[in-house]
Amino acid sequence: MSAAVKERSREEYKAQEERLRAVWANPAGWRYWTSVNNYQIGLWYGSAAFAFMLFAGALALLMRLQLAVPDNDFLSADFFNQAFTLHGTVMMFLFAVPIFEAVAIFLLPPMLGAREMPFPRLGAFSFWSFLLGGIFVCGSIFFNAAPSAGWFMYPPLATDKEFSGIGADIWLLGLSFIEVASIAAAVELIVGIMKCRAPGMRINLMPLFAWYLLIVAGMILFAFPPLIAGDLLFEMERMFDWPFFDAARGGDPLLWQHLFWIFGHPEVYIIFLPAIALMAMIVPTFSQRPIVGYSWIVLAAVGTGFLSFGLWVHHMFATGLPQISLAFFSAASEAVAIPTGVQIFVFIATMLAGRVIFSTPMLFGTGGLAIFVIGGLTGVMVALAPFDWQAHDTYFVVAHLHYVLIGGMLFPVVAGLYYYYPLIDAKKLSDLLGRLAFWLMFCGFNIAFFPMHLSGLRGMPRRVFTYPAEIGWDWLNLISTAGAFIFAAGVLVVVFDVIRPKHRQPRGEFNPWNAGTLEWISEPEENWGVRSIPIVRSRYPLWDQRDLARKVNEGRYYLPDAEEGWREGLVTSVLDAEPIQVLRVGGTSHVTIVSALSLGAAFIALTFHWWIATALASIICFCAVIYWLWTGTGEIPEKPDKDVGLGLSLPLYASGSDSVGWWAMFITMVGDGTAFASLVFGYFFYWTIHADFTAGIAGPDAVWSLIAASLFAAAWGLMVAARTVNRRGTTATMRGLLVLSLLTTVAASAAGLAAPLSPGMDPTRHVYPAIVWILVIWVLAHAALGTVMQAYCLARSLAGRLTPNHDMDLGNVVLYWHFLLIAAVITFAIIGLFPAAM
Amino acid sequence: MGRYFSLSAASLLLASGSAGAQSVASTQSALEPAGAEAQQVAMLFWVMLSGGAVLWLGVVGLLLHAALVNRRRLAEKSASRVILWGGVVFPSVTLCALLAYALWLMPGLRPFAQASPAALRIEVTGKQFWWDVVYHPAQGPPVASANEIRLPVGERVELTLKSADVIHSFWIPPLGGKMDMIPGRSNRLSIMATKPGIFRGPCAEYCGTSHALMAFSAVAMAPEAFRSWLAVQAIPAEGAGASGGALFLRHGCGSCHSVAGTDARGLIGPDLSHVGSRATVAAGILPNTEDAVARFIARPDLIKPGSSMPAFDMLPPDDIRAIAAWLRGLR
Amino acid sequence: MRLVPKQIETLWTLFTAPVVWAAHFLVCYIGAAIYCAKPELVELSFSAVRAGIAAATVIALSLIALSAWLAWQQWGFGTDDPPHDDPTRRDRTLFQGFATLLLSGLSFIAVIFTALPALFLTECIR
Repeated sequence: MSAAVKERSREEYKAQEERLRAVWANPAGWRYWTSVNNYQIGLWYGSAAFAFMLFAGALALLMRLQLAVPDNDFLSADFFNQAFTLHGTVMMFLFAVPIFEAVAIFLLPPMLGAREMPFPRLGAFSFWSFLLGGIFVCGSIFFNAAPSAGWFMYPPLATDKEFSGIGADIWLLGLSFIEVASIAAAVELIVGIMKCRAPGMRINLMPLFAWYLLIVAGMILFAFPPLIAGDLLFEMERMFDWPFFDAARGGDPLLWQHLFWIFGHPEVYIIFLPAIALMAMIVPTFSQRPIVGYSWIVLAAVGTGFLSFGLWVHHMFATGLPQISLAFFSAASEAVAIPTGVQIFVFIATMLAGRVIFSTPMLFGTGGLAIFVIGGLTGVMVALAPFDWQAHDTYFVVAHLHYVLIGGMLFPVVAGLYYYYPLIDAKKLSDLLGRLAFWLMFCGFNIAFFPMHLSGLRGMPRRVFTYPAEIGWDWLNLISTAGAFIFAAGVLVVVFDVIRPKHRQPRGEFNPWNAGTLEWISEPEENWGVRSIPIVRSRYPLWDQRDLARKVNEGRYYLPDAEEGWREGLVTSVLDAEPIQVLRVGGTSHVTIVSALSLGAAFIALTFHWWIATALASIICFCAVIYWLWTGTGEIPEKPDKDVGLGLSLPLYASGSDSVGWWAMFITMVGDGTAFASLVFGYFFYWTIHADFTAGIAGPDAVWSLIAASLFAAAWGLMVAARTVNRRGTTATMRGLLVLSLLTTVAASAAGLAAPLSPGMDPTRHVYPAIVWILVIWVLAHAALGTVMQAYCLARSLAGRLTPNHDMDLGNVVLYWHFLLIAAVITFAIIGLFPAAM
Repeated sequence: MGRYFSLSAASLLLASGSAGAQSVASTQSALEPAGAEAQQVAMLFWVMLSGGAVLWLGVVGLLLHAALVNRRRLAEKSASRVILWGGVVFPSVTLCALLAYALWLMPGLRPFAQASPAALRIEVTGKQFWWDVVYHPAQGPPVASANEIRLPVGERVELTLKSADVIHSFWIPPLGGKMDMIPGRSNRLSIMATKPGIFRGPCAEYCGTSHALMAFSAVAMAPEAFRSWLAVQAIPAEGAGASGGALFLRHGCGSCHSVAGTDARGLIGPDLSHVGSRATVAAGILPNTEDAVARFIARPDLIKPGSSMPAFDMLPPDDIRAIAAWLRGLR
Repeated sequence: MRLVPKQIETLWTLFTAPVVWAAHFLVCYIGAAIYCAKPELVELSFSAVRAGIAAATVIALSLIALSAWLAWQQWGFGTDDPPHDDPTRRDRTLFQGFATLLLSGLSFIAVIFTALPALFLTECIR
């Protein structure tokens, strides 16, 4: 090779690198906050979640002070109740779940060899929603307006305005908003893991972290919607006096408990699995060998994911359900211990088969496991109904859940922090401080929480702001309080280690732990994730593929350039990760912040019943989202294909099930369908608890119901026809069909409205009309959204952004209509026909 | 300070009084069982605890061995065998056995004998933040009481548990597990005391501001003593000093409270017909002394935040004292 | 005629056995719950519920056994031990087969656990 050619290629390489850097660069100045890059979002998300954790921890210390001695009056009863409600709420919703979303958004793209998550703006939206909702909920305690009915918000204590104030609304609306953000994150994670892995990363080579996160995201999709459905019923009761949980009018407080715990128990595993996923990355690195039992981990993750949905009633063992029902849940709760145990033995086996370097992350990891095993064993105990009748709602359970969550989640997360910190700052955290923090945390934790087992068995109930002397709890509580402060000191050491200035510390080496997975290629200074997207041929590419790092950084793999000025990544096939498309993702934008803040404003205004502000904020949010979709999605590329390097050319546009947008819609609608199913469950729940659940009230008109169902079916048929016609190129007919379908939808909605309206069903009178109305409203709201989508497609077509070859929008809308059809037919069949059939 | 009254003192009081409890032990501990269910469950716990301790030592020992001691790289095949046997086979068998043990226990713990109904049924209704109690003996009229449960040793008692406002949970740890009281539902619980004694029962489901201050005492008595006690409860008591009774009615106490044999027929607050014979007042948080009763009448909101009883500190102290003395005499 | 295609190229087969467990669990729980809440709906004794649970269990276990057999087949009848980490389609298939087999095993145990209550409880008890 001549010197001139070499010179030219070096210059070209430089130019490539510059173009790529410019495309992925963060905006400067205050615009930095409009960044949507996964590193920034991940870091902000994680820091915010950590800050919320410290806040909730401070509340816990206040509570421990109050309980240090009997008959204490350090805190008032009311403040204590707000504190424990907020402590639980914040730890669950603002720390445990978001911190995993943060870690996932930060780590997944580099780990999968991708440049970005598939929907970076959605990630940013999710973060801003979370931040606003979190500040709103936490801030309430400074105005003495925090929720005080417990993080589980049992009605009627939490629904009846006689017993609870605005705190309940703050909880409900603030968190609904965060739940929506979690579902958005789940959609992003599933699509990212299934479709955006580096070429060659077949599912048997996928890092275990990704396997775990895939399962967890799937769990979120089925766990959060029941809670959202519950929230909806709850807020309808608080705001409009619909009696879903009011026993006097046929409601039942237990329905909330079912819906809450169908969410609440999987939630524990949603928190636990990602933390164990970090362990599954850390253990092989420090055992200096691949994990033993890769498939066993997959078994454990999938098995736990499923079994965790069969446990919810074990939170309701004392509610007086038939014992045969309780027994099924005892059984499933015992069974879930098996996959949990498998994971621990996978780690042990890997360590046995390797040569262990006992680093600080390993210290936190093994210490956490030692704690977690105790929590697991007490979990096996409380899963048995007879023992739970004694232990339920006592400090035994407080001890159990903290052993599970702190051992199974907080310690592994700190281990992950020590392990992955070099990816944030290119420097390691201090080993000395780490070890100090560990021993403070480990000892403090056990001193604080171990005695609680005994105080619980000695009869100390949870959620008591004080207790009498001489009942055998005095010194146990004093010890717990002392331990809590030692534990807190350990946490503060970690915080100090993270925030202490490190500019004098030299930049650390590349891949300091000699790990084998792809994320260690990425450099904290660069925003592009990977310089070029590699071909992966191993579970531990950095161990097995020599020169991989060098070749990636020399831009020798896919997409080393950004000629057209787009942020680009690859879409690959699900099983074998064969490259199939170039995905252009959204860049820096204000629209995410505007839509998140306006949505937040709408929720907050709703809390205070400021109707006009609510309407205004909703309109802003609606416009922002439409603008976002219009300008940022379904863009028709300037050329059909693009050369991605290594002689491969890939399409720039995909529609239907080939497109990531279709997947996102599908996943979202699965979650949406779960919420709908929860409402249907509610309908039948009321049927089972009453001899005559209609309470003699005339039900919806069967004829109108059937007309509504048929019209929805017709509208759906027209949508399917519109898509087919459009593909054939007859655009004008497609537009006509869209308009026709829109009109049919309006007619269907009117018929649907007539069904409960014609017999004059009053939703405040009894729970039967209320549950019928809520089902109808659910369908009608979806139909309204459906018409917006139809109008949007029409507009896109008229604007030339939807063509016979570029019909992604239409494909996604038709997919939405499949789900809408199912919901409409089920709803109108049930409300119209079921009461007569019974 | 002094919000609580210790129950060991309560038991002394009862032992010296006419209540007839034979033992003076007083506890809220599930580990000192004095009832059929609690005994079985404590046994279950000790079995699980010993098994759990062995398992924990085994797992953590293996973990530490693998992390710190082991220097022999195990072959992948043998390591996989560790997962299979340690992670799957052993737990499956152990858990199956444990589950079977618990399921086998279940039908016997709370036998709601459909064939022969319990001789005594007690209806307890949870209210913020106290307990309304009605005894339904097999013969004779129902007997109203509050914040105290008495039951005969060695006989199965059936409890009907309800709530008037929010969810509460009824629990006497030494006798057996808890059962929620849910608005709109009526739950059943079957308990049998095996030893006489005085036990403290707390509300076990968070029910609002003063959830921590909602308790009751449960007194297990010899069957004959119980029956004669119930017979006394069924007839009105004589208060000490008639003036207190008159003041009680004059100041309107009777619009919320009932006292059998008087015009006080209120149903909002606890029944006070025999309040003088109870171990504690204000739902298990104050000693049953004249002074404590007087303090509660004056400022219930200080002693029990969120309580629905209004403060009566505008009454002349002497009136309050007279009412307290009269109430103390209702035995 | 084949009931199931020989080569299933999808991720979803992995979830067959746990889905069977979930269906079995729901059938048992919902069936018993409705029976206990509305005994007048079907005029049968609790033994009928237990028989129903037994039947559901037999069906579920057979389905899981079928899934396990297919997985075993996908795993080449156990001829090739893990770790299945070669970058080939063959290893990916073997991995799927092995993981599916493991999940079938877990689901099998979990179904047995779920059925246990019907052995010990002879009435609703509430």
